[in-house]
Amino acid sequence: MKLKSILTTIILFSGLTYAQDLTGLEVIQNVYNRPTGNDMTGNLIMTIENSRGNQRVRKIKQYVKTVKGGEKKIMFFLSPADVKNTSFMTWSYDEKGKSDDQWIYLPALKKVKRISSDSKGDYFMGSDFTYDDLGDRHPSDDNHTILREEVIDGKEIIVIESVPKDEEYMYSRTVTWVIKDSWIGLKKEFYDEDDELLKILTVEGQKSFGDVIILTKVKMNNVQRNQFTIMEFSDVQIDTGIPNNKFTERMMKRGI
Amino acid sequence: MKNQTLKFSLIMLIGANLFAQNLDINGYVRSYMGVLTNDNYDYSINQNTLDLKLKRTDDNVSFFANPFIYQYPNQDAHLGLREAYMDVYFDNMDLRIGKQQIIWGKADGMFITDIVSPKDLGEFLLRDFDEIRTGITSLKANYYLGDNTVEMVWIPTFTPTIMPDETSIWSRIPEFPLPITIDESQKEIPARLENSEGFIKFSGMSSLLDYEIMAGTMWDDDPTLHVSPIIELGNPQPLGLMLTPKHHQLTLAGGSFSSELGGFIFRGEGAYYMGKQFSALNPDQMNLPTSLLEKDYVHYLIGTDFSIGTTRFSTQFIQRAILDYDDMIVQEELDNTMTFLANRTFLQETLTLQLFGYVGLNNEDALIRPSLTYDVADGFEILAGANIFIQNDESETTGLFGHYDDNDMVYLKVKYSF
Repeated sequence: MKLKSILTTIILFSGLTYAQDLTGLEVIQNVYNRPTGNDMTGNLIMTIENSRGNQRVRKIKQYVKTVKGGEKKIMFFLSPADVKNTSFMTWSYDEKGKSDDQWIYLPALKKVKRISSDSKGDYFMGSDFTYDDLGDRHPSDDNHTILREEVIDGKEIIVIESVPKDEEYMYSRTVTWVIKDSWIGLKKEFYDEDDELLKILTVEGQKSFGDVIILTKVKMNNVQRNQFTIMEFSDVQIDTGIPNNKFTERMMKRGI
Repeated sequence: MKNQTLKFSLIMLIGANLFAQNLDINGYVRSYMGVLTNDNYDYSINQNTLDLKLKRTDDNVSFFANPFIYQYPNQDAHLGLREAYMDVYFDNMDLRIGKQQIIWGKADGMFITDIVSPKDLGEFLLRDFDEIRTGITSLKANYYLGDNTVEMVWIPTFTPTIMPDETSIWSRIPEFPLPITIDESQKEIPARLENSEGFIKFSGMSSLLDYEIMAGTMWDDDPTLHVSPIIELGNPQPLGLMLTPKHHQLTLAGGSFSSELGGFIFRGEGAYYMGKQFSALNPDQMNLPTSLLEKDYVHYLIGTDFSIGTTRFSTQFIQRAILDYDDMIVQEELDNTMTFLANRTFLQETLTLQLFGYVGLNNEDALIRPSLTYDVADGFEILAGANIFIQNDESETTGLFGHYDDNDMVYLKVKYSF
């Protein structure tokens, strides 16, 4: 199982750099290279609705901290009851090519297990987000081209197509709508291996914390399966000084 | 028992009221029915369970209790307390006092360094993970040094493995060539300080490796059968055998590790046991197993977890080797086992198909456990499965799993977690 920081992802989908006449790569780099704060906490409610309209809801508490050489994250599952007190921890590294380290604590086993971080194409907890969707994909992993510019709700938008350099990647291409000047991603389309539209990610809410913008509500719509997942964040706090010992086996077992 | 259940309910209600807002109440209700696939389709189990988990946490202290009730048709309900402990948290240290399950090691479904909490084998190895171990009254202290931990456990009173009733389909009494009489008078370990058990573990977590190093002095959870002939005065031929189960002290040291390489998780675990008593044949007494030989043995495993597509796999090889082996020992010098697991989810992780198995390599016997779990709604699941025991008819001995060849079953569990 592979987990990534959802908060991190949402932040990386927004940016605050000012530039004109940029290339596609530079636009995506502006989205990627933005201040994220030293640490973050937040509550996540994930609502998964299938094609029959049946909903399932997951509640998660997450802590993220930037450390020397990378980032540490820990997630505590609050509901539903059968996964309550389960926790995940991820240590990510800036070093290119170095895989994340991940652990899971299952209360029924009373044991922390190391798990592989190799399944980026798997879906996160049965949602419509893959682990890779939730990860901080580096701009250099794709070739970026500006397709066009649009105006939506009075905002100037740059539309960028990103084609993966790795032909084995799960998507043949993605198309991202980026708000010019603020560099916030507004919408993203994911195309499958046959170049058919698979999923659409849309932003439905955001909140500013100084120069950090958090997208507080996003929706991933799987148009092929006619199902969607909504992620909503609340109680988001930035730079509260989370201690390093929050990201240890001790805390995985102890819980929040 | 009705009174006991009533008391239990009252305690729960009073407790819940007393702690009011800060008491966290979780648990599950489960109906579990198993049917043997024999000619009569006997029920192997027909059980209803209420399992409660109560937790209250204040700043630096918390308490946890896990009472449960097993109810069987036309039988008295069984009330138990799986765990009941208090935690005290310091900056770099935690203390846990009370009845608790302590789980060590990196192995799945095997007990090599995971021997602090004894097992409940009332249903062989088929129970869920949290039900197969019994809580022990103990004091546990954890001291933290960054990502390393020193853990010390003191168990003042010995608790043995819970074995199946003699009438249970899971009962396993060794076969002897003569009638047997069982004397259980020496089975108890007197509750006194000198009979307490102690364990220590040093563990660490890093990007490269997770590891544990442990040692302990303990009583063997499984009793050794002392066998003596019953002889009548004037008749040298034994009329029967007296079996006296007795627990002996053991000392062990071991460790385990887990690491990832190229998408594969590699795990290992091993322990060196000193002073185990093994039953041995006695040539002076018609080769009856009336002797005991004290030997050391090693028990270890290597395993790996990996994924192919969206299917997760896991496999382990386990070996137990008696050192300085004597041919008269009843048990084989090497005992080899493998486990395997395949798991895949469908329909947005609401449907899980799993195949788990133990394979005894010495006797070519096995236990195969296919199952299908469907999450009807959040916290509400239906699990249908089978336990298939396989015996090799050409093997001299039946083996741990082959012994239950007549216990093949299908089962259904309906569980609501709250």
